[in-house]
Amino acid sequence: MKAFKNFHPVSLAVYFLSVLTVLMFTKNPVLQAEALVGAALFLGALQGVGTLLSDAPFYLALFAMTALTNPLFSHNGVTPLFFMNGNPVTLEALLYGVSLAATVIGALILCRCFCDVMTSDKILYLAMAASPKFSLVLSMALRFIPMLVKRFHRVERAQRTMGLYSGKSVSDRVKFHVRVFLSMIPWTLENAMETSASMRARGYGKYIKRAEKIKNGKNVKNVKCEKKKRTNFSLFKFTPRDAALIFVCLLSFGISLLGEAFFSVGFEYYPRLGALRLTAWSAAVYAVFGAVTFMPFLIEVKEALVWKYCVSKI
Amino acid sequence: MRREKVKKALVCLAFSILIPTLVTVGYLAFGERRYAWIILSATVLFVASFFLYFEKTESKTGRLLVIASMTALSCVGRVVFAPIPGFKPVTAITVICAIYFGAEAGFMTGAMSALISNLYFGQGPWTPFQMFGWGIIGFFAGLLSERLKKGKAFLLLYALFSGVLYSLIMDVWTVLWADGFFNLSRYAAASLSALPFTAVYVVSNAVFLLIGLKPVGKVLERIKTKYNL
Repeated sequence: MKAFKNFHPVSLAVYFLSVLTVLMFTKNPVLQAEALVGAALFLGALQGVGTLLSDAPFYLALFAMTALTNPLFSHNGVTPLFFMNGNPVTLEALLYGVSLAATVIGALILCRCFCDVMTSDKILYLAMAASPKFSLVLSMALRFIPMLVKRFHRVERAQRTMGLYSGKSVSDRVKFHVRVFLSMIPWTLENAMETSASMRARGYGKYIKRAEKIKNGKNVKNVKCEKKKRTNFSLFKFTPRDAALIFVCLLSFGISLLGEAFFSVGFEYYPRLGALRLTAWSAAVYAVFGAVTFMPFLIEVKEALVWKYCVSKI
Repeated sequence: MRREKVKKALVCLAFSILIPTLVTVGYLAFGERRYAWIILSATVLFVASFFLYFEKTESKTGRLLVIASMTALSCVGRVVFAPIPGFKPVTAITVICAIYFGAEAGFMTGAMSALISNLYFGQGPWTPFQMFGWGIIGFFAGLLSERLKKGKAFLLLYALFSGVLYSLIMDVWTVLWADGFFNLSRYAAASLSALPFTAVYVVSNAVFLLIGLKPVGKVLERIKTKYNL
């Protein structure tokens, strides 16, 4: 069950953008830890623990590399651990490296969740609301891609059968691929032109004259030509649940930002490690942001439990 | 009609109040990462306002379809050339499309290619910069179209320029974001470790442009006159 996927695309976009922005720009270790752990659990719930474990070496290597190389680039900080090539390796720089690594990996994991949750139909829906022409290009291109891959392989097979496709060296492979690729271009473009002619014939983007309004039994003379509203196909319904998600996300985003700016949520590594201060505001920020980051995971778990329970009852 | 008005009002509100407020609060909030924040916001806003401009000006369905097909072709290129590491025709196709269909079409092709191919290869914080990078490469190619059509030397120079510009755009942001200022040593390390990729990238740009410009240009020219685009 992928319960979090069922939210409205707008809510999902707000969720990911708000969490990602805070994660990428905050230096507060509590917020970073919450976002990192929340995103990792979310990915585990989405793609299974197996995927998470098989990717773990990559993330750990990236973590180590980012954390350990930071002192080489940055010599800020007041607590030198040792000297390398005459440059101090400081504690602050090392810790900043750890924080940087956590941010990078958190962002990567969250973006993978994003790709899993925001499928192309949802992105198309969002684009449609913003700009019809942009979304036309987007939807056309999305449809062309599988078609073109199929065509590519058709041409490739045909050429292979003709014995034109035999070399093994890189330059040969490039040459053959390029030849097949070039042969697709006129085909695709002619095809697109036919599509466009067909769209024009069916009245795409044309002004449609509204039926004349009859007022008090008289025809009103000045009839405006109006563009008829283009409808779009979507299966998404905006429910109170979606509104609630948007509200919580914006709330957490707002108080995190204000907290960073004015209310002691900010955290500094240079020149001297800052201290985490626990005030009412920062406690609220930690609580709300924590709730937001762990919510997708909890929703998935709850949904999985409900599913299991229902099955076992049958 | 009322919906249109509401939408217009919302766009005005967003551009005049919401976005400036958000950027300012972010600037105050994000400490050393404020410059990265500003650059990210500026990039996203630039791309978004270009799309809005496109929405207002581009009117021919045929041109939209050409952009869609070129975008699809460059994404497919990224997929089918995947066995040959580093060889991607995205830049070449963007540049060719820009030369024959103008700077705006070039920007759209580049930006859309980045957005759509990342649906297959993974979105990330880099997506806006990729969109901007490929878009601006297309845009400049459209502005320089006459010279690019004529000289092979200029074409090669542009391939080099676009490769370097692309990695520059990606690396500068990484450095600014990690350090909060332009840390030269980190930038040098990032550029050096990316050097093999940049080199392959430049070579593949040059190869694709040299091989592709004539035949694809002929097709595009023909389509342009045949369908009056």
